[in-house]
Amino acid sequence: MALTVPTRKPPTDDSATPVFAVDGLWKVFGPKADTVPGDPELASLPAAELRARTGCTAAVQDVSFDVRKGEVFVVMGLSGSGKSTLVRCLTRLIEPTAGNIAIDGEDVRAMDKSRLRELRRHRAAMVFQHFGLLPHRTVLDNVAYGLEIQGVGRAERRERAQQVVKKVGLEGMEQRRPGQLSGGQRQRVGLARALAADPEVLLFDEPFSALDPLIRRDMQEEVVRLHREEGRTMVFITHDLSEALKLGDRIALMRDGRVVQLGTPEEIVGSPADDYVREFVRDVPREQVMTVRTAMRPGDCGGTDHPGALAADAVVAEAIKVVARSHKPACVVEDGRCLGVVDHERLLDIVAGTELRKEAV
Amino acid sequence: MATVTAPVPRIALPGVLKHRAVHKLLLLALAAAVLVPLANARWASGSWPDALTVDLTDPLTRTSDWIIDNRDSHPLFLYFFGHVSNAVVLSVRAVYLVLLAAGWAGVTAFAGLVAWRVAGVRLALGTAAAFLACGLLGMWVPTMQTLALMVVAVLASVVVGAVLGLAAGLSDRMDRILRPVLDTMQVLPAFAYLLPVVLVFGIGVPAAVLATVVYAAPPMARLTSLGLRGADKEVLEAVESLGSTARQRLLTARIPLARKELLLGLNQTIMMALSMAVIASVIGAGGLGDRVYQALASVDVGAALAAGIPIVLLAVVLDRVTGAAGDGTPGAGRSGRAQWAYALGATLVVAVAARLLGRLDWPDAWVLNIAEPVNRAVDWMTAHLYSGVPVVGGTADWAGHFTTWVLDPVRDGLQGLPWWSVLLIVAALAWVIGTWQTALTAVLAMATIGVLGVWKPSLDTLSQVLAAVAVTLVLGFAIGITAARSDRFERLLRPVLDVFQTMPQFVYLIPVVALFGVGRAPAVAAAVVYALPAVVRITTQGLRQVDQAAMESARSLGATSGQQIRQVQLPLARPALLLAVNQGVVLVLAVVIIGGLVGGGALGYDVVFGLAQGDLATGLVAGAAIVCLGLMLDRVTQPTERRAKKGA
Repeated sequence: MALTVPTRKPPTDDSATPVFAVDGLWKVFGPKADTVPGDPELASLPAAELRARTGCTAAVQDVSFDVRKGEVFVVMGLSGSGKSTLVRCLTRLIEPTAGNIAIDGEDVRAMDKSRLRELRRHRAAMVFQHFGLLPHRTVLDNVAYGLEIQGVGRAERRERAQQVVKKVGLEGMEQRRPGQLSGGQRQRVGLARALAADPEVLLFDEPFSALDPLIRRDMQEEVVRLHREEGRTMVFITHDLSEALKLGDRIALMRDGRVVQLGTPEEIVGSPADDYVREFVRDVPREQVMTVRTAMRPGDCGGTDHPGALAADAVVAEAIKVVARSHKPACVVEDGRCLGVVDHERLLDIVAGTELRKEAV
Repeated sequence: MATVTAPVPRIALPGVLKHRAVHKLLLLALAAAVLVPLANARWASGSWPDALTVDLTDPLTRTSDWIIDNRDSHPLFLYFFGHVSNAVVLSVRAVYLVLLAAGWAGVTAFAGLVAWRVAGVRLALGTAAAFLACGLLGMWVPTMQTLALMVVAVLASVVVGAVLGLAAGLSDRMDRILRPVLDTMQVLPAFAYLLPVVLVFGIGVPAAVLATVVYAAPPMARLTSLGLRGADKEVLEAVESLGSTARQRLLTARIPLARKELLLGLNQTIMMALSMAVIASVIGAGGLGDRVYQALASVDVGAALAAGIPIVLLAVVLDRVTGAAGDGTPGAGRSGRAQWAYALGATLVVAVAARLLGRLDWPDAWVLNIAEPVNRAVDWMTAHLYSGVPVVGGTADWAGHFTTWVLDPVRDGLQGLPWWSVLLIVAALAWVIGTWQTALTAVLAMATIGVLGVWKPSLDTLSQVLAAVAVTLVLGFAIGITAARSDRFERLLRPVLDVFQTMPQFVYLIPVVALFGVGRAPAVAAAVVYALPAVVRITTQGLRQVDQAAMESARSLGATSGQQIRQVQLPLARPALLLAVNQGVVLVLAVVIIGGLVGGGALGYDVVFGLAQGDLATGLVAGAAIVCLGLMLDRVTQPTERRAKKGA
């Protein structure tokens, strides 16, 4: 598993209004679904037992999280964990059973039809696993479709679509039809269609699961690039842990409809909340995820030249290179101040996953 | 899969299935043991007991008389049916006049250009050649009459079908209501639709057009609904996620996504409309069908063939061109529109030129009279092939033998059975193959036949159907299995099947009359020929779609070809084979009924007789019995899964 985690931006301001604020969200399928979230006894049942008792399936159970402006928020879980249902609840493509959803502080569940359309047209656009393209339209018309629905004039929407097509690297294919494109190209069209409306948030529902591994990596890099260039908020659904770690600023790990852990990739890998998460992240190359901030021995080195001079957000793999080259411990520096020191021993502990046990002792 | 001679038979899956069938049969036997003595004690009789029949002749005759008396005065007729009738007559006449005004050159040019735009150069040439052949056979005017009727009927069918299909496609409730109705309409023989329409509209063009619409609209409705429901869920979700309104979703996504099904629906509607427009000659449609009908009535095979060939040509051309429209990519935007304009312009030029040259009507000098040589050939056949050919015997001998040795015993056997045992057999068959619902429907349908008082003729028709189905299945399975095993044979067979499957039912009567004369055997022969292609095709497809891995593993275990067929292919293709049986039965019934026109007798004859003598009561009762027989036969052979589409 070759993971390269890009150096992360400092976390955004927590106090600002979150783009999406989800609180106590439930989605239950089945007869008399409404009664399940309100009943504390039923609500606490595991999924299988609930199905046996009521015939209902709780796809999303009491989920709460905030999506901050400008971050990539990843919801990750195995198939059947409720992640796709969750993302559809955000724009009410699936009507939630209970709980609150707010976008920029506005209650989504209270919106009437036209307000909801407005939300879907301008504020949140979605990219789908199997692309969801219209086979009878050309690439350009597919990309312009969202604008067409909004009632944008032909000339203007074509021009705007043209720009987006260029942005996702599909120039020269405008007149092709989806049937004539490869999977990766089709998903670029899907991405372009979502971008064309210039939405505040992009929602991705396992967008790259249907693609070959190499193409998938290309597309992931494309998303990273777009995020770097535009800083658009993204909610990204995936079942692929390496994808989650690569793209996510924060990750919500779901199991059977519940969020079992929510945190940065480093928190998930470094301090799993339970055995399920630990099993999940067991094979992750830790040196690609953990930062030197965790690895370092805190305390000023005392000197002024700070050998090595690693940024606090640098991953352990980078520190290993520096330390191996200089045969000396390296300093971790933030704002010109030394935060701590990493040496062979500390770095090896991270790679071996033994640092926690030592601290516990 | 080599069988080991095990002392104890193992209970495998087939065993369990048999078990279920046995359970059902036991239950039925129990019910029969209670009910049969009771029924037998009260109404002991071989045939359907008179006490249980309801004579509908009087009320039906009164209704029919009342309608005839009030057709010109009652408000329902004045303000509704009258307008419908007038609108139909006017539009058919208008289309007919336009076709005549365009002249043969104009029509041929237009048809060729449309075919060229839709389906390419080869089909365009074929289309033009087909129209010229119609003229050459001296059938230009009847062809235009049939075409005018078709245009109106197809337009109306498409509108009605699309509206019903939209309703069923968008609303689950409508779908639940419409689906069984449409399914049932699709299995009923065309003849069943004639009488009710005639009752209301009288014999004439309006009745013919409306019967055609009723017969041809269901496939459009079914396929429209299927297309709308079959749309890729994720595409619809994506469209919704972009904030579309319901209307936008329908117009920009659902309908375009259903394009293929819609065009297939159009294709099937056109084919069914042609089939019906020809049969409707019995109720005054005129045109090609009428020529065939008249010629058959006087056993003039030459004249029938001269009118039959244009029907076949029309069918093949219409099928190929509309079929190509469904397969092809959507028209290429603006350049496509410009070419359409050119095509229209060219047609206009040709039509005007022909008009100026005074060549509107097909020139008499160009008519090729094939009736006489054909009749001479038929006479020769009658003289030399009918009977007394050494060793093989003649065709009429075959027909005679078939009647004496097969049809008569089956009919007498069926009519000799006590009435309750027929019901029991129907129930047992339907229940073993299908569910208790299908069995109940089948028994009720059969009982209705008895109540209507047409037990005997219905069993006569049934005997013809059974004989024809048996022959069809033996031939069809044999050919189908051969075709599934040999690619070369299938390649040879395919174009033949394609042509045979497009031909209207009526046309099949012509060659059998030439070969076998009139009677019940020719009707059965026509039915076999008509149903055979569908059975062969479904069998071949079913066998070919058998899981390749299963076949490969059987081969790797050293199974012989015979073992492969018996132990792997046939069991795995069971659903397809059952479907083939069901289709075979439905198609055979349709033609056996029409066989009433060539001496098939029984129910089909009653309908024709009722129409010819103005005795609508007899005809209506026979029509109702046909409906019941169709229902019964369909339900008896209906596997749990519903078939996808009709083979015709």
